[in-house]
Amino acid sequence: MNAFITSTGHYLPGEPIDNTQIESVLGKVYGKPSRLKNRILKSNGIKTRHYAIDTEHKTYISNSEMAASAGQNCIAASSVSQQQVSLLSCATSQGDFVLPGFGSMVQAEMGLSDIELNTSHGICSSSMMALKAAYTSLKANEHDTALVIASELASRLFKASRYEQVNSEQLDFNAEFLRWMLSDGAGAMLLQSEPKGLCFQIEWIKGFSHADAFPTCMTVGQPADKTIKLSWQDYATYAEAEAAGALLIRQDVRLLDNVVKMGVDGFLRLIEQGLVAAEEIDHVLCHYSSHYFKTRIFDMLEKAGVAIPENKWYTNLYTRGNTGCASIFIMLDEFRRTRTYSAGEHILCMVPESGRFNNVFMKLKVIEGE
Amino acid sequence: MDSYVLTPQAQNCLQELMRIWFDFERRLGKVPIVTRLQQGRLTLEDYRKLLCQLRQQVIEGSRWITRCASSFNKDFADVRSQVIQHALEEHRDYELLERDFVAAGGTLKQIQTAPKNPGSEALHGFMMHRASQENPIDLIGAMWIIEGLGNKMAKEWASAVDEHLGHNGKLSSFMHYHGENDEHHMEKLYALLDRVCAVPDAHRSITRTAKVVARLYALQLEEVDNDE
Repeated sequence: MNAFITSTGHYLPGEPIDNTQIESVLGKVYGKPSRLKNRILKSNGIKTRHYAIDTEHKTYISNSEMAASAGQNCIAASSVSQQQVSLLSCATSQGDFVLPGFGSMVQAEMGLSDIELNTSHGICSSSMMALKAAYTSLKANEHDTALVIASELASRLFKASRYEQVNSEQLDFNAEFLRWMLSDGAGAMLLQSEPKGLCFQIEWIKGFSHADAFPTCMTVGQPADKTIKLSWQDYATYAEAEAAGALLIRQDVRLLDNVVKMGVDGFLRLIEQGLVAAEEIDHVLCHYSSHYFKTRIFDMLEKAGVAIPENKWYTNLYTRGNTGCASIFIMLDEFRRTRTYSAGEHILCMVPESGRFNNVFMKLKVIEGE
Repeated sequence: MDSYVLTPQAQNCLQELMRIWFDFERRLGKVPIVTRLQQGRLTLEDYRKLLCQLRQQVIEGSRWITRCASSFNKDFADVRSQVIQHALEEHRDYELLERDFVAAGGTLKQIQTAPKNPGSEALHGFMMHRASQENPIDLIGAMWIIEGLGNKMAKEWASAVDEHLGHNGKLSSFMHYHGENDEHHMEKLYALLDRVCAVPDAHRSITRTAKVVARLYALQLEEVDNDE
Protein backbone atom coordinates (compact mmCIF):
# COMPACT_ATOMS: atom_id res chain seq x y z
CA MET A 1 0.00 0.00 0.00
CA ASN A 2 1.16 3.54 -0.78
CA ALA A 3 0.45 6.88 0.87
CA PHE A 4 -0.34 10.09 -1.00
CA ILE A 5 -0.72 13.62 0.31
CA THR A 6 -3.90 14.54 -1.54
CA SER A 7 -4.80 17.76 0.26
CA THR A 8 -3.28 20.32 2.59
CA GLY A 9 -4.60 23.18 4.69
CA HIS A 10 -3.50 25.91 7.05
CA TYR A 11 -4.71 28.38 9.62
CA LEU A 12 -2.84 31.55 10.53
CA PRO A 13 -4.50 33.63 13.25
CA GLY A 14 -5.35 37.29 12.71
CA GLU A 15 -3.61 39.78 10.49
CA PRO A 16 0.09 39.58 9.64
CA ILE A 17 2.17 41.41 12.25
CA ASP A 18 5.22 43.22 10.90
CA ASN A 19 8.49 43.79 12.73
CA THR A 20 7.48 47.21 14.05
CA GLN A 21 4.29 45.79 15.62
CA ILE A 22 5.73 42.80 17.50
CA GLU A 23 6.30 44.58 20.78
CA SER A 24 2.84 46.09 20.74
CA VAL A 25 1.47 42.54 20.83
CA LEU A 26 4.01 40.71 23.02
CA GLY A 27 4.66 43.75 25.20
CA LYS A 28 7.80 45.45 26.42
CA VAL A 29 9.56 43.76 29.32
CA TYR A 30 9.61 46.25 32.24
CA GLY A 31 8.27 48.78 29.76
CA LYS A 32 11.55 49.00 27.87
CA PRO A 33 12.02 48.25 24.17
CA SER A 34 14.23 45.25 23.47
CA ARG A 35 17.85 45.89 22.59
CA LEU A 36 18.19 42.52 20.90
CA LYS A 37 15.14 42.56 18.70
CA ASN A 38 16.56 44.21 15.60
CA ARG A 39 19.72 42.13 15.60
CA ILE A 40 17.81 38.86 15.78
CA LEU A 41 15.20 39.91 13.21
CA LYS A 42 17.93 40.94 10.82
CA SER A 43 19.55 37.55 11.16
CA ASN A 44 16.38 35.46 10.82
CA GLY A 45 14.97 37.49 7.93
CA ILE A 46 11.34 37.17 9.08
CA LYS A 47 9.22 40.14 7.94
CA THR A 48 5.71 39.18 9.09
CA ARG A 49 4.10 36.57 11.32
CA HIS A 50 0.81 35.83 13.11
CA TYR A 51 -0.15 35.72 16.78
CA ALA A 52 -3.13 34.10 18.48
CA ILE A 53 -2.95 36.61 21.32
CA ASP A 54 -4.05 40.23 21.05
CA THR A 55 -2.44 43.40 22.38
CA GLU A 56 -4.18 42.80 25.72
CA HIS A 57 -2.49 39.36 25.83
CA LYS A 58 -5.86 37.67 25.50
CA THR A 59 -5.76 34.39 23.56
CA TYR A 60 -8.48 34.80 20.97
CA ILE A 61 -8.12 31.33 19.45
CA SER A 62 -6.72 28.30 21.27
CA ASN A 63 -4.10 25.91 19.91
CA SER A 64 -6.64 23.10 19.40
CA GLU A 65 -9.06 25.51 17.70
CA MET A 66 -6.31 26.59 15.28
CA ALA A 67 -5.46 22.94 14.62
CA ALA A 68 -9.12 22.15 13.95
CA SER A 69 -9.41 25.10 11.56
CA ALA A 70 -6.38 23.92 9.60
CA GLY A 71 -7.85 20.40 9.53
CA GLN A 72 -11.18 21.71 8.23
CA ASN A 73 -9.39 23.86 5.64
CA CYS A 74 -7.56 20.73 4.45
CA ILE A 75 -10.72 18.57 4.30
CA ALA A 76 -12.63 21.33 2.48
CA ALA A 77 -9.98 21.36 -0.25
CA SER A 78 -10.13 17.56 -0.65
CA SER A 79 -12.57 15.11 -2.18
CA VAL A 80 -13.35 13.36 1.10
CA SER A 81 -15.75 14.20 3.90
CA GLN A 82 -14.72 14.41 7.52
CA GLN A 83 -16.53 11.11 8.22
CA GLN A 84 -14.14 9.22 5.98
CA VAL A 85 -11.11 10.11 8.13
CA SER A 86 -10.24 7.07 10.25
CA LEU A 87 -6.92 8.20 11.77
CA LEU A 88 -6.06 11.57 13.29
CA SER A 89 -2.40 12.22 14.01
CA CYS A 90 -1.52 15.51 15.71
CA ALA A 91 1.62 17.35 16.78
CA THR A 92 2.39 20.39 18.90
CA SER A 93 5.14 21.60 21.22
CA GLN A 94 2.67 22.63 23.86
CA GLY A 95 -1.05 21.98 23.86
CA ASP A 96 -3.58 24.19 25.60
CA PHE A 97 -3.53 21.77 28.53
CA VAL A 98 -0.64 19.75 29.86
CA LEU A 99 -3.02 16.77 29.74
CA PRO A 100 -4.82 15.10 28.01
CA GLY A 101 -2.95 14.64 24.74
CA PHE A 102 -3.30 17.35 22.13
CA GLY A 103 -4.90 14.94 19.62
CA SER A 104 -7.87 14.35 21.93
CA MET A 105 -8.53 18.08 22.13
CA VAL A 106 -8.31 18.47 18.35
CA GLN A 107 -10.57 15.48 17.74
CA ALA A 108 -13.21 16.96 20.04
CA GLU A 109 -12.86 20.39 18.46
CA MET A 110 -13.39 18.93 14.97
CA GLY A 111 -16.10 16.50 16.08
CA LEU A 112 -14.40 13.53 14.43
CA SER A 113 -16.12 10.27 15.43
CA ASP A 114 -14.68 6.78 15.93
CA ILE A 115 -11.16 7.55 14.83
CA GLU A 116 -7.84 6.07 15.85
CA LEU A 117 -5.71 8.73 17.51
CA ASN A 118 -2.03 9.59 17.70
CA THR A 119 -0.33 12.53 19.41
CA SER A 120 3.33 13.20 18.89
CA HIS A 121 5.24 15.40 21.26
CA GLY A 122 8.46 17.30 20.63
CA ILE A 123 9.46 20.51 18.93
CA CYS A 124 9.83 21.23 15.20
CA SER A 125 10.17 17.61 14.14
CA SER A 126 7.08 16.42 16.02
CA SER A 127 4.93 17.13 12.96
CA MET A 128 7.12 14.83 10.87
CA MET A 129 6.86 12.14 13.54
CA ALA A 130 3.05 12.53 13.46
CA LEU A 131 3.17 12.32 9.67
CA LYS A 132 5.34 9.21 9.79
CA ALA A 133 2.86 7.50 12.14
CA ALA A 134 0.07 8.18 9.63
CA TYR A 135 2.23 7.19 6.66
CA THR A 136 3.22 3.85 8.21
CA SER A 137 -0.41 3.17 9.19
CA LEU A 138 -1.42 3.52 5.55
CA LYS A 139 1.53 1.45 4.40
CA ALA A 140 0.53 -1.28 6.86
CA ASN A 141 -3.02 -1.26 5.49
CA GLU A 142 -4.45 -0.20 8.84
CA HIS A 143 -6.12 2.89 7.44
CA ASP A 144 -6.80 4.42 4.05
CA THR A 145 -7.58 8.04 5.01
CA ALA A 146 -5.63 9.91 7.66
CA LEU A 147 -5.60 13.54 8.73
CA VAL A 148 -2.33 14.92 10.12
CA ILE A 149 -2.31 18.29 11.87
CA ALA A 150 0.53 20.32 13.38
CA SER A 151 -0.20 23.44 15.37
CA GLU A 152 1.69 25.89 17.58
CA LEU A 153 0.71 28.67 19.92
CA ALA A 154 4.08 29.90 21.12
CA SER A 155 3.13 33.54 21.75
CA ARG A 156 1.64 32.72 25.16
CA LEU A 157 5.20 32.10 26.31
CA PHE A 158 6.42 35.46 25.07
CA LYS A 159 4.19 37.86 26.96
CA ALA A 160 6.28 40.54 28.64
CA SER A 161 4.69 39.67 32.00
CA ARG A 162 6.26 36.18 31.86
CA TYR A 163 9.77 37.59 31.74
CA GLU A 164 9.00 39.99 34.57
CA GLN A 165 8.28 37.08 36.95
CA VAL A 166 11.86 35.85 36.73
CA ASN A 167 13.99 36.43 39.76
CA SER A 168 16.86 38.10 37.92
CA GLU A 169 17.65 41.65 36.98
CA GLN A 170 18.91 40.74 33.54
CA LEU A 171 16.94 39.19 30.74
CA ASP A 172 18.97 36.26 29.56
CA PHE A 173 19.82 36.23 25.89
CA ASN A 174 18.86 32.58 25.40
CA ALA A 175 15.38 33.24 26.79
CA GLU A 176 14.79 36.36 24.72
CA PHE A 177 16.15 34.89 21.48
CA LEU A 178 13.04 32.88 20.59
CA ARG A 179 10.75 35.83 21.31
CA TRP A 180 11.83 37.25 17.96
CA MET A 181 11.78 33.92 16.17
CA LEU A 182 8.60 31.95 16.91
CA SER A 183 4.96 32.68 16.18
CA ASP A 184 1.60 30.94 15.84
CA GLY A 185 -0.20 28.89 13.21
CA ALA A 186 -1.37 25.46 12.10
CA GLY A 187 -1.00 23.25 9.05
CA ALA A 188 -2.67 20.04 7.94
CA MET A 189 -2.24 17.23 5.43
CA LEU A 190 -4.64 14.58 4.21
CA LEU A 191 -3.12 11.18 3.48
CA GLN A 192 -4.91 8.69 1.26
CA SER A 193 -3.95 5.28 -0.02
CA GLU A 194 -4.92 6.19 -3.60
CA PRO A 195 -3.69 9.20 -5.59
CA LYS A 196 -6.24 11.96 -6.25
CA GLY A 197 -5.55 14.68 -8.82
CA LEU A 198 -2.09 16.19 -8.81
CA CYS A 199 -0.78 14.93 -5.46
CA PHE A 200 2.38 13.89 -3.65
CA GLN A 201 3.38 10.29 -3.12
CA ILE A 202 5.45 9.83 0.04
CA GLU A 203 8.47 7.82 -1.10
CA TRP A 204 9.98 7.70 2.39
CA ILE A 205 10.28 9.54 5.71
CA LYS A 206 13.53 9.08 7.62
CA GLY A 207 14.59 10.48 10.97
CA PHE A 208 18.00 10.62 12.63
CA SER A 209 18.03 11.66 16.28
CA HIS A 210 21.21 12.56 18.17
CA ALA A 211 19.93 13.33 21.68
CA ASP A 212 22.50 10.92 23.10
CA ALA A 213 25.40 13.03 21.90
CA PHE A 214 24.27 16.61 22.58
CA PRO A 215 22.80 18.52 25.50
CA THR A 216 19.36 20.11 25.21
CA CYS A 217 19.30 23.09 22.87
CA MET A 218 15.70 24.30 23.19
CA THR A 219 13.84 23.82 26.43
CA VAL A 220 10.81 24.71 28.50
CA GLY A 221 10.92 23.44 32.05
CA GLN A 222 14.65 23.73 32.73
CA PRO A 223 16.08 26.52 34.91
CA ALA A 224 18.31 29.14 33.27
CA ASP A 225 21.38 27.54 34.84
CA LYS A 226 21.69 24.22 33.02
CA THR A 227 23.96 22.77 35.67
CA ILE A 228 21.03 22.77 38.11
CA LYS A 229 19.42 19.39 37.62
CA LEU A 230 15.86 20.45 38.33
CA SER A 231 12.66 20.21 36.36
CA TRP A 232 9.96 22.86 36.70
CA GLN A 233 7.95 20.17 38.49
CA ASP A 234 10.56 19.79 41.21
CA TYR A 235 9.92 23.22 42.76
CA ALA A 236 7.64 23.45 45.77
CA THR A 237 5.32 25.78 43.88
CA TYR A 238 4.94 26.71 40.24
CA ALA A 239 5.57 30.32 41.28
CA GLU A 240 9.06 29.30 42.42
CA ALA A 241 9.69 27.51 39.14
CA GLU A 242 8.66 30.62 37.26
CA ALA A 243 10.87 32.84 39.43
CA ALA A 244 13.81 30.53 38.64
CA GLY A 245 13.13 31.08 34.95
CA ALA A 246 12.25 27.42 34.47
CA LEU A 247 9.05 28.18 32.58
CA LEU A 248 10.63 30.30 29.86
CA ILE A 249 11.33 28.85 26.46
CA ARG A 250 15.02 29.01 25.93
CA GLN A 251 17.47 28.32 23.10
CA ASP A 252 21.09 27.55 23.83
CA VAL A 253 22.36 29.53 20.86
CA ARG A 254 25.92 28.27 21.19
CA LEU A 255 24.76 24.79 20.22
CA LEU A 256 22.86 25.88 17.12
CA ASP A 257 25.69 25.21 14.70
CA ASN A 258 25.19 21.52 15.43
CA VAL A 259 21.71 21.71 13.91
CA VAL A 260 23.27 22.64 10.59
CA LYS A 261 25.94 19.96 10.88
CA MET A 262 23.48 17.22 11.78
CA GLY A 263 21.17 18.35 8.96
CA VAL A 264 24.00 17.99 6.46
CA ASP A 265 25.01 14.70 8.11
CA GLY A 266 21.48 13.36 7.55
CA PHE A 267 21.47 14.42 3.92
CA LEU A 268 24.83 12.73 3.31
CA ARG A 269 23.53 9.55 4.98
CA LEU A 270 20.51 9.49 2.68
CA ILE A 271 22.78 9.92 -0.34
CA GLU A 272 24.97 7.09 0.88
CA GLN A 273 21.92 4.87 1.40
CA GLY A 274 20.89 5.55 -2.19
CA LEU A 275 17.60 7.14 -1.10
CA VAL A 276 18.28 10.49 -2.73
CA ALA A 277 20.62 12.15 -5.20
CA ALA A 278 21.08 15.93 -5.28
CA GLU A 279 20.46 16.03 -9.06
CA GLU A 280 17.01 14.41 -8.92
CA ILE A 281 15.52 16.98 -6.54
CA ASP A 282 13.32 19.60 -8.20
CA HIS A 283 12.12 21.41 -5.08
CA VAL A 284 13.53 21.70 -1.56
CA LEU A 285 11.33 22.67 1.37
CA CYS A 286 13.53 23.06 4.41
CA HIS A 287 12.35 24.23 7.79
CA TYR A 288 15.29 26.39 8.68
CA SER A 289 14.37 28.66 11.55
CA SER A 290 16.33 31.59 10.33
CA HIS A 291 17.79 32.93 7.10
CA TYR A 292 21.22 32.72 8.73
CA PHE A 293 20.97 28.92 8.89
CA LYS A 294 19.93 28.63 5.27
CA THR A 295 23.24 30.20 4.29
CA ARG A 296 25.16 27.87 6.59
CA ILE A 297 23.39 24.74 5.27
CA PHE A 298 24.03 25.93 1.75
CA ASP A 299 27.73 26.51 2.31
CA MET A 300 28.23 23.10 3.80
CA LEU A 301 26.32 21.26 1.07
CA GLU A 302 28.32 23.17 -1.49
CA LYS A 303 31.58 22.22 0.14
CA ALA A 304 30.56 18.56 0.05
CA GLY A 305 29.65 18.88 -3.63
CA VAL A 306 25.97 18.02 -3.06
CA ALA A 307 24.39 21.45 -3.22
CA ILE A 308 20.91 21.78 -4.69
CA PRO A 309 20.72 25.03 -6.69
CA GLU A 310 19.22 27.93 -4.78
CA ASN A 311 16.37 28.46 -7.26
CA LYS A 312 14.97 25.06 -6.24
CA TRP A 313 14.58 26.09 -2.59
CA TYR A 314 11.16 27.28 -1.49
CA THR A 315 10.14 28.76 1.85
CA ASN A 316 7.46 31.02 3.28
CA LEU A 317 9.36 31.59 6.54
CA TYR A 318 9.80 35.29 5.82
CA THR A 319 6.06 36.02 5.50
CA ARG A 320 4.39 33.36 7.67
CA GLY A 321 7.00 33.22 10.43
CA ASN A 322 8.59 30.28 12.18
CA THR A 323 5.67 28.27 13.51
CA GLY A 324 7.73 25.42 14.96
CA CYS A 325 6.35 22.02 14.04
CA ALA A 326 3.59 23.60 11.92
CA SER A 327 6.09 25.35 9.63
CA ILE A 328 6.79 22.49 7.24
CA PHE A 329 3.04 21.80 6.83
CA ILE A 330 2.21 25.48 6.26
CA MET A 331 5.10 25.61 3.79
CA LEU A 332 3.97 22.56 1.80
CA ASP A 333 0.41 23.92 1.79
CA GLU A 334 1.43 27.27 0.32
CA PHE A 335 3.81 25.60 -2.11
CA ARG A 336 0.98 23.35 -3.29
CA ARG A 337 -1.44 26.24 -3.72
CA THR A 338 0.85 28.80 -5.31
CA ARG A 339 3.72 27.07 -7.14
CA THR A 340 3.88 25.11 -10.34
CA TYR A 341 5.06 21.55 -10.21
CA SER A 342 4.43 18.62 -12.49
CA ALA A 343 4.07 14.85 -12.41
CA GLY A 344 7.36 13.03 -11.99
CA GLU A 345 9.09 15.83 -10.06
CA HIS A 346 10.68 15.17 -6.67
CA ILE A 347 10.38 17.29 -3.55
CA LEU A 348 12.73 16.99 -0.60
CA CYS A 349 11.43 18.16 2.79
CA MET A 350 13.86 18.65 5.68
CA VAL A 351 13.20 19.45 9.31
CA PRO A 352 16.41 19.81 11.32
CA GLU A 353 15.23 20.29 14.91
CA SER A 354 17.29 22.07 17.50
CA GLY A 355 15.37 20.77 20.55
CA ARG A 356 17.80 17.96 21.07
CA PHE A 357 18.94 17.35 17.51
CA ASN A 358 16.35 15.27 15.74
CA ASN A 359 16.40 15.60 11.96
CA VAL A 360 13.61 14.30 9.80
CA PHE A 361 13.63 14.12 6.01
CA MET A 362 10.94 13.22 3.53
CA LYS A 363 10.97 12.61 -0.20
CA LEU A 364 7.85 13.20 -2.23
CA LYS A 365 7.08 12.42 -5.86
CA VAL A 366 4.49 14.41 -7.73
CA ILE A 367 1.84 12.01 -9.11
CA GLU A 368 -1.13 12.66 -11.38
CA GLY A 369 -4.02 10.61 -9.95
CA GLU A 370 -7.57 10.24 -11.26
CA MET B 1 31.30 30.09 -1.41
CA ASP B 2 33.31 28.36 -4.10
CA SER B 3 33.52 24.61 -4.14
CA TYR B 4 36.72 23.63 -2.38
CA VAL B 5 37.01 20.22 -3.85
CA LEU B 6 36.67 19.89 -7.57
CA THR B 7 37.07 16.33 -8.76
CA PRO B 8 34.18 13.86 -8.28
CA GLN B 9 36.54 11.39 -6.53
CA ALA B 10 37.62 14.03 -4.04
CA GLN B 11 34.02 15.11 -3.51
CA ASN B 12 32.98 11.55 -2.66
CA CYS B 13 35.89 11.30 -0.30
CA LEU B 14 35.05 14.66 1.31
CA GLN B 15 31.43 13.60 1.82
CA GLU B 16 32.57 10.53 3.70
CA LEU B 17 35.13 12.53 5.68
CA MET B 18 32.36 14.92 6.72
CA ARG B 19 30.26 12.00 7.95
CA ILE B 20 33.26 10.65 9.88
CA TRP B 21 33.81 14.09 11.41
CA PHE B 22 30.16 14.44 12.48
CA ASP B 23 30.33 10.98 14.01
CA PHE B 24 33.52 11.98 15.84
CA GLU B 25 31.87 15.12 17.20
CA ARG B 26 28.96 13.06 18.49
CA ARG B 27 31.39 10.65 20.12
CA LEU B 28 33.23 13.58 21.72
CA GLY B 29 29.90 14.80 23.06
CA LYS B 30 29.78 11.66 25.19
CA VAL B 31 33.35 11.85 26.52
CA PRO B 32 33.03 12.91 30.20
CA ILE B 33 35.75 15.60 30.21
CA VAL B 34 34.38 17.12 26.98
CA THR B 35 30.85 17.06 28.37
CA ARG B 36 32.06 18.90 31.47
CA LEU B 37 33.90 21.41 29.30
CA GLN B 38 30.90 22.04 27.05
CA GLN B 39 28.46 22.30 29.94
CA GLY B 40 30.56 24.68 32.01
CA ARG B 41 31.44 22.15 34.72
CA LEU B 42 35.17 21.90 34.01
CA THR B 43 37.46 22.53 37.00
CA LEU B 44 40.99 23.95 36.79
CA GLU B 45 42.32 20.51 37.69
CA ASP B 46 40.31 18.97 34.84
CA TYR B 47 41.73 21.54 32.48
CA ARG B 48 45.29 20.83 33.54
CA LYS B 49 44.70 17.11 32.95
CA LEU B 50 43.29 17.86 29.54
CA LEU B 51 46.28 20.03 28.57
CA CYS B 52 48.69 17.30 29.73
CA GLN B 53 47.17 14.86 27.26
CA LEU B 54 46.78 17.38 24.45
CA ARG B 55 50.50 18.11 24.80
CA GLN B 56 51.34 14.47 24.08
CA GLN B 57 49.42 14.68 20.87
CA VAL B 58 50.97 18.01 19.87
CA ILE B 59 54.55 16.92 20.60
CA GLU B 60 54.16 13.56 18.89
CA GLY B 61 52.24 15.24 16.09
CA SER B 62 55.35 17.09 14.98
CA ARG B 63 57.19 13.76 14.84
CA TRP B 64 54.71 11.81 12.75
CA ILE B 65 54.20 14.67 10.34
CA THR B 66 57.93 15.03 9.65
CA ARG B 67 58.20 11.24 9.33
CA CYS B 68 55.24 11.37 6.96
CA ALA B 69 57.02 13.99 4.81
CA SER B 70 60.12 11.83 4.50
CA SER B 71 58.07 8.83 3.40
CA PHE B 72 56.87 10.45 0.17
CA ASN B 73 58.93 9.44 -2.87
CA LYS B 74 59.70 11.57 -5.94
CA ASP B 75 56.24 10.98 -7.45
CA PHE B 76 54.75 12.88 -4.52
CA ALA B 77 57.41 15.60 -4.17
CA ASP B 78 54.71 18.30 -4.38
CA VAL B 79 52.76 16.69 -1.53
CA ARG B 80 55.97 16.35 0.47
CA SER B 81 56.63 20.09 0.15
CA GLN B 82 53.20 20.88 1.56
CA VAL B 83 53.59 18.48 4.46
CA ILE B 84 57.00 19.94 5.32
CA GLN B 85 55.49 23.42 5.33
CA HIS B 86 52.71 22.26 7.62
CA ALA B 87 55.18 20.60 9.99
CA LEU B 88 57.26 23.77 10.15
CA GLU B 89 54.24 25.89 11.05
CA GLU B 90 53.14 23.72 13.94
CA HIS B 91 56.13 21.97 15.42
CA ARG B 92 56.53 24.35 18.38
CA ASP B 93 52.86 24.75 19.24
CA TYR B 94 53.46 22.85 22.45
CA GLU B 95 55.20 25.88 23.95
CA LEU B 96 51.92 27.79 23.96
CA LEU B 97 50.27 24.82 25.55
CA GLU B 98 52.88 24.64 28.31
CA ARG B 99 52.39 28.32 29.04
CA ASP B 100 48.64 27.76 29.42
CA PHE B 101 49.32 24.86 31.77
CA VAL B 102 51.51 27.01 34.00
CA ALA B 103 48.92 29.83 33.92
CA ALA B 104 46.36 27.25 35.05
CA GLY B 105 48.43 26.52 38.15
CA GLY B 106 50.64 23.66 36.97
CA THR B 107 54.44 23.47 36.76
CA LEU B 108 56.53 22.94 33.66
CA LYS B 109 58.00 19.83 35.21
CA GLN B 110 54.57 18.30 35.72
CA ILE B 111 53.50 18.70 32.11
CA GLN B 112 56.87 17.77 30.67
CA THR B 113 57.09 14.53 32.60
CA ALA B 114 53.44 13.46 32.40
CA PRO B 115 53.15 9.97 30.89
CA LYS B 116 51.02 9.24 27.83
CA ASN B 117 47.69 7.68 28.63
CA PRO B 118 46.67 4.44 26.84
CA GLY B 119 44.75 6.38 24.21
CA SER B 120 47.73 8.62 23.45
CA GLU B 121 49.99 5.56 23.22
CA ALA B 122 47.64 3.90 20.73
CA LEU B 123 47.19 7.08 18.67
CA HIS B 124 50.89 7.81 18.53
CA GLY B 125 51.74 4.19 17.67
CA PHE B 126 49.24 4.12 14.84
CA MET B 127 50.37 7.46 13.41
CA MET B 128 54.05 6.56 13.41
CA HIS B 129 53.22 3.22 11.80
CA ARG B 130 51.22 4.82 9.01
CA ALA B 131 53.73 7.65 8.51
CA SER B 132 56.47 5.06 7.95
CA GLN B 133 54.71 3.52 4.92
CA GLU B 134 55.74 4.65 1.45
CA ASN B 135 53.59 7.54 0.18
CA PRO B 136 51.26 7.69 3.21
CA ILE B 137 48.49 9.70 1.53
CA ASP B 138 45.97 8.19 3.92
CA LEU B 139 47.33 10.54 6.61
CA ILE B 140 45.26 13.27 4.96
CA GLY B 141 42.44 11.52 6.81
CA ALA B 142 44.36 12.01 10.07
CA MET B 143 44.97 15.69 9.27
CA TRP B 144 41.26 16.10 8.57
CA ILE B 145 40.38 14.97 12.09
CA ILE B 146 43.21 16.86 13.82
CA GLU B 147 42.66 20.12 11.92
CA GLY B 148 38.93 19.79 12.55
CA LEU B 149 39.57 19.41 16.25
CA GLY B 150 41.84 22.47 16.24
CA ASN B 151 38.99 24.41 14.68
CA LYS B 152 36.51 23.07 17.24
CA MET B 153 38.87 24.02 20.10
CA ALA B 154 39.24 27.55 18.81
CA LYS B 155 35.55 28.03 18.08
CA GLU B 156 33.93 26.26 21.01
CA TRP B 157 36.31 25.05 23.68
CA ALA B 158 38.45 28.18 24.10
CA SER B 159 35.45 30.41 24.84
CA ALA B 160 33.98 27.80 27.23
CA VAL B 161 37.31 27.74 29.11
CA ASP B 162 37.47 31.55 29.22
CA GLU B 163 33.89 31.84 30.36
CA HIS B 164 34.02 29.27 33.13
CA LEU B 165 37.61 29.37 34.32
CA GLY B 166 38.25 33.08 33.81
CA HIS B 167 41.80 34.54 33.61
CA ASN B 168 40.99 36.71 30.57
CA GLY B 169 42.04 34.19 27.96
CA LYS B 170 45.44 33.56 29.58
CA LEU B 171 44.63 29.88 29.99
CA SER B 172 43.49 29.22 26.46
CA SER B 173 46.09 30.74 24.12
CA PHE B 174 46.84 27.32 22.59
CA MET B 175 43.18 26.65 21.80
CA HIS B 176 42.65 30.15 20.42
CA TYR B 177 45.82 30.07 18.35
CA HIS B 178 44.73 26.91 16.60
CA GLY B 179 41.87 28.75 15.00
CA GLU B 180 44.02 31.48 13.49
CA ASN B 181 45.68 29.48 10.74
CA ASP B 182 42.83 27.13 10.38
CA GLU B 183 41.10 28.36 7.22
CA HIS B 184 44.44 28.41 5.51
CA HIS B 185 45.21 24.84 6.58
CA MET B 186 41.78 23.62 5.50
CA GLU B 187 42.22 25.13 2.04
CA LYS B 188 45.49 23.28 1.67
CA LEU B 189 43.84 20.09 2.82
CA TYR B 190 41.11 20.42 0.19
CA ALA B 191 43.75 20.97 -2.48
CA LEU B 192 45.60 17.87 -1.28
CA LEU B 193 42.39 15.84 -1.52
CA ASP B 194 41.99 16.88 -5.13
CA ARG B 195 45.60 15.97 -5.75
CA VAL B 196 45.66 12.51 -4.21
CA CYS B 197 42.12 11.21 -4.78
CA ALA B 198 43.02 10.40 -8.38
CA VAL B 199 45.24 7.61 -6.98
CA PRO B 200 43.38 4.24 -6.94
CA ASP B 201 42.14 3.25 -3.46
CA ALA B 202 43.03 6.68 -2.05
CA HIS B 203 39.45 7.31 -0.92
CA ARG B 204 39.28 4.03 0.99
CA SER B 205 42.60 4.46 2.75
CA ILE B 206 42.05 8.13 3.63
CA THR B 207 38.62 7.50 5.16
CA ARG B 208 39.84 4.38 6.96
CA THR B 209 42.70 6.30 8.59
CA ALA B 210 40.33 9.16 9.47
CA LYS B 211 38.04 6.67 11.24
CA VAL B 212 40.88 5.06 13.20
CA VAL B 213 42.34 8.43 14.22
CA ALA B 214 38.92 9.71 15.30
CA ARG B 215 38.37 6.63 17.44
CA LEU B 216 41.84 6.76 19.01
CA TYR B 217 41.62 10.51 19.63
CA ALA B 218 38.35 10.02 21.46
CA LEU B 219 39.98 7.20 23.44
CA GLN B 220 42.80 9.53 24.43
CA LEU B 221 40.24 12.02 25.76
CA GLU B 222 38.20 9.30 27.46
CA GLU B 223 41.35 8.21 29.26
CA VAL B 224 41.96 11.70 30.69
CA ASP B 225 39.66 10.75 33.56
CA ASN B 226 41.44 7.44 34.15
CA ASP B 227 44.91 8.73 34.97
CA GLU B 228 46.77 7.05 37.81
